[in-house]
Amino acid sequence: MEKSTQNPYQPMPMYIARTAVETEDHSLRSVELAFQHDSDRERFFSGYRPGQFCQLSIFGKGEASFGVASAAWEGSFVRFTINKIGVFTKAIHGMQPGDPIGMRGALGTWYPVEEWKGADIVVIGGGYAFTTLYALTKHLLDPKLRQEYGDLTVIYGAREPGLFLYKPEMKMWSRRDDVTLFQTIDTPREDWDGLTGYVPTVTKELAPRADNAVAFVCGPPVMIKFTLPVLNELGFPPDRIYTSLERRMKCGIGKCGRCNIGPKYVCKDGPVFSLAALGELPAEF
Amino acid sequence: MIKILPKADLATTIDQWRVEATVYAPVRQEEVVGFQPLTGSGNGCFTLDANSRYPPKSLFLPQSEALFRVAGSDLEPVEGDLSERIVFGIRPCDARACQLLDGVFAGTEYTDPYWSEKRRHTTLVALGCTDPCETCFCTAVGSGPFDSRGADVMLTDIGEVYVAQADTAQGEALLSRLQDASQEQIDASSQAQAEARAAMARPFELDGIRETLYGLFDDEFWYDVQQPCLGCGVCTFLCPTCHCFDIVDEAQRGERVRNWDTCMFQIYSQEASGHNPRPTNVERTRQRIMHKYAYFGELYDEVGCTGCGRCVRYCPAGIDMRQIIRSSQSRG
Repeated sequence: MEKSTQNPYQPMPMYIARTAVETEDHSLRSVELAFQHDSDRERFFSGYRPGQFCQLSIFGKGEASFGVASAAWEGSFVRFTINKIGVFTKAIHGMQPGDPIGMRGALGTWYPVEEWKGADIVVIGGGYAFTTLYALTKHLLDPKLRQEYGDLTVIYGAREPGLFLYKPEMKMWSRRDDVTLFQTIDTPREDWDGLTGYVPTVTKELAPRADNAVAFVCGPPVMIKFTLPVLNELGFPPDRIYTSLERRMKCGIGKCGRCNIGPKYVCKDGPVFSLAALGELPAEF
Repeated sequence: MIKILPKADLATTIDQWRVEATVYAPVRQEEVVGFQPLTGSGNGCFTLDANSRYPPKSLFLPQSEALFRVAGSDLEPVEGDLSERIVFGIRPCDARACQLLDGVFAGTEYTDPYWSEKRRHTTLVALGCTDPCETCFCTAVGSGPFDSRGADVMLTDIGEVYVAQADTAQGEALLSRLQDASQEQIDASSQAQAEARAAMARPFELDGIRETLYGLFDDEFWYDVQQPCLGCGVCTFLCPTCHCFDIVDEAQRGERVRNWDTCMFQIYSQEASGHNPRPTNVERTRQRIMHKYAYFGELYDEVGCTGCGRCVRYCPAGIDMRQIIRSSQSRG
């Protein structure tokens, strides 16, 4: 990676361009940030790949890490979908278009799809961890890129229908023929005619072909834990399964210490790891 | 370059250095020795008979440091004081620790400008240890009482004079006006160094320590080790190679500040969801020891401990790093 001469702790000045409530319970909101300086925008987009995260900064509330939920070709903005859970996220939920906000990044590793051209892609996500997988799928749906990959299958689970993110886009994906979308909710409901059942079970039933495929998995720890053995059974070897990890972070650049798993820092060496790489680390996750 | 610094001339030499730089030296204040900028002349104002309680890493990574100041809706980097500094009397273990931390702050993809700028403007004049403490174990971790790897100048006490060896351009510039050492003096310093090394206790051998600790990752060992621990974090705050920090906003002062942090605190790795990957003292103790003796080595091919012995000396519960390493080896 290129060594930057910039002060790596300095946030870029951004502003909120648009916001959207994502879930019926209003706990998740997407914010799209636009750049105040063209030079920042150019630098960001010259490096950003889906799977990476940014440190958002609100002075007085501090900084927090969020995965990027947009693909570069969507436009000159950066989307984050944020769960209202603490002091910082509460502050973001209260922000309006035009409000200033700081951003550092993009940081960390990405879903390395460029290494898998020609392969079938299987995206498996659960809950609000779907954000970076959404960015990945959007990236692959770039008209200039789509033909370079085989089948694109998305398996996406939520507790109930109202908790799915990006609902208008999901509706469109379900009608497209260049992506196969399976949405599942935990338990059957009268107002739901899609799949039901937990993500690992549904993945097992759908049994996506593994012979020329790569899987990208992200979700709550329990979902990941039970999905990985299923993928194994389906014939995905550990070097063709990628997942993304979360840890409390401060610096985002491998110096402040806290996000390590063994000798690897989730902020710098992750957040995206192959299952093969994780297998070499001490089991502290 | 090998010169001599007669003890009788020490005060005058330091006064000369003080013309062009701020000179820091160990100063005793109410029984506690710490590195302070010298403001007066003479030998009486500093002490060379004991190492500082706080490691001098704080000269490069202050316990609390403003990174940014609010300017309108932007954050402006705080430049800090970048005048030239000379640290006189730093011990080899602490100078070596600064060198190890260069790997963290300057050696990876991202350079930390706050650390690096201060390092660039500072010359380290180390005083080798002819009389190591009982809790010192530098030779066991691949260092020694005259390890000059982190220092610009290494001083050896041979009685009336210090033999001063400069290993860097910065060190040579500092010593240029001093008199050359005679062969006799050089021999005397080699002998003093060899004697100090031989006198050092060597409480453990490092062979295979990484594999040993990885093998014990899920073992009850860590439960046993942490039992007396109060979780106070003193071992990490006084450790010259601990570098963890927190970044917080001091809204009233209008500053974004970084403060030393410690892996021994529960909040350190606590996530907003409530999940904590290191929920108890067992995981936190394992992290502290394994970071020094296993993980650091994988990243920088060095042990992340310089054997200064502070964690042993100041632990209120009497936990002894040397004992932990030895027990891991007899267990593993």
